[in-house]
Amino acid sequence: MKIAVIQFPGTNCEYETLVAAKSAAVDGEIFRWNRPAQELCDFDGYVIPGGFSYQDRLRAGAIASKEPVMETLREEAETGKPIVGICNGFQILVESGLLPGVGGVDAALAQNVMVSKNQIVRRGFYCAWTTLRHDASRNRCAGTFLIEKGELLPIPLAHAEGNLVTADENLIDRLNEENQVVFRYCDEEGNSTPDYPVNINGSVQNIAGICNPEGNVLGMMPHPERSNFAWQLPAHDPAKKGGLGDLDASGPGRRIFESMKRYIEVRI
Amino acid sequence: MKINLRVWLKIPDAEAVTVKNTLIRRMGYGDVLADLGKERLWSIEVDDDVEDPIDLAKRFAKELVNENKESYLASMDCLVFDMGYVPVKVALHIEDGEAITTRDRLRNRLGFDMVKGVERSTVWKLYLNLEGSRDPHEIAKEIAERLLINPHKDFYEMLA
Repeated sequence: MKIAVIQFPGTNCEYETLVAAKSAAVDGEIFRWNRPAQELCDFDGYVIPGGFSYQDRLRAGAIASKEPVMETLREEAETGKPIVGICNGFQILVESGLLPGVGGVDAALAQNVMVSKNQIVRRGFYCAWTTLRHDASRNRCAGTFLIEKGELLPIPLAHAEGNLVTADENLIDRLNEENQVVFRYCDEEGNSTPDYPVNINGSVQNIAGICNPEGNVLGMMPHPERSNFAWQLPAHDPAKKGGLGDLDASGPGRRIFESMKRYIEVRI
Repeated sequence: MKINLRVWLKIPDAEAVTVKNTLIRRMGYGDVLADLGKERLWSIEVDDDVEDPIDLAKRFAKELVNENKESYLASMDCLVFDMGYVPVKVALHIEDGEAITTRDRLRNRLGFDMVKGVERSTVWKLYLNLEGSRDPHEIAKEIAERLLINPHKDFYEMLA
């Protein structure tokens, strides 16, 4: 089993993403965007990591979405192989139409707008720990294959444009009906309230991650590779009580990579 | 009254080059796209009774333009573009936080009490090869819809 971690010019999370995959016993390699795209077919799954592909020129993810590797990824996704897009990877998947994957380009990830008590209190880049509630059923999505519905995962985020918007007034209802909303921002008890700081970027219905109708493509704004080890958790997290302990101990983000591994095993 | 500031880089514009390369090398516009330029457009709505709009435009430019690397052209109300390219304006149709912040800073921090509103957009200048049989506006529309905008947050408008 081997996955490709796609590296575009400006990607900046590829090495830690590969470390996270390997810690979940998934072999992999960094795949530069300008390699022959057909070589992607040799891999069992794909991660598009975070960063600023092409310096976010034009729009976050817009230029990378036109690269030949994305066309090959579309073909590989149609065969059922898993793809996980993290942060900028999610933006690329949305710009390419692979997510939510119900037509063409069905949505956009716009600038963060933090709203509290009907007032805009902040806009733009934000970096913080957040809690995600897994809202899809177990086995619905390749990237959360092992995660139960309702499970909470503390995972950090860092982005300026993660506010899911759409001009299609029926899209969000369809995503809910089809069980395509995978993660929502919530508080530590699992409550999703619409105000900042729980809804950390103003995303419609607190949506933090979605999958395609088939469930093999996942996009999420938070960075699971940044909570892949227990030592990466913030000091106030109970899991970190008593010091760093075992440096290899897993953090909540590893569940994404373990899920991807299990999905590939089941699929094979 | 609306004061328009068209701002462009004096140094090479990497974003414009990237968009041009993507259109030519990735999207098949090599035979029709000769070149591509980019301008930022600030459209600042001010009180109609402003005494010296040209001076006001210069004062706005002092705040919004870095003349070490950028040039600008100011005009009142209407925008006039040269021949030879199709200007395509792209702006957000959702709330533009940067435009709102700019308006508030001009008005509340920098003392421009006459500012009523600020709009921010990008003007893409598409230099098209006109030897083909296709209408340049049709090509520009296609380019805008395929690359320059995401319709879920942006809109476009041909300015000429």
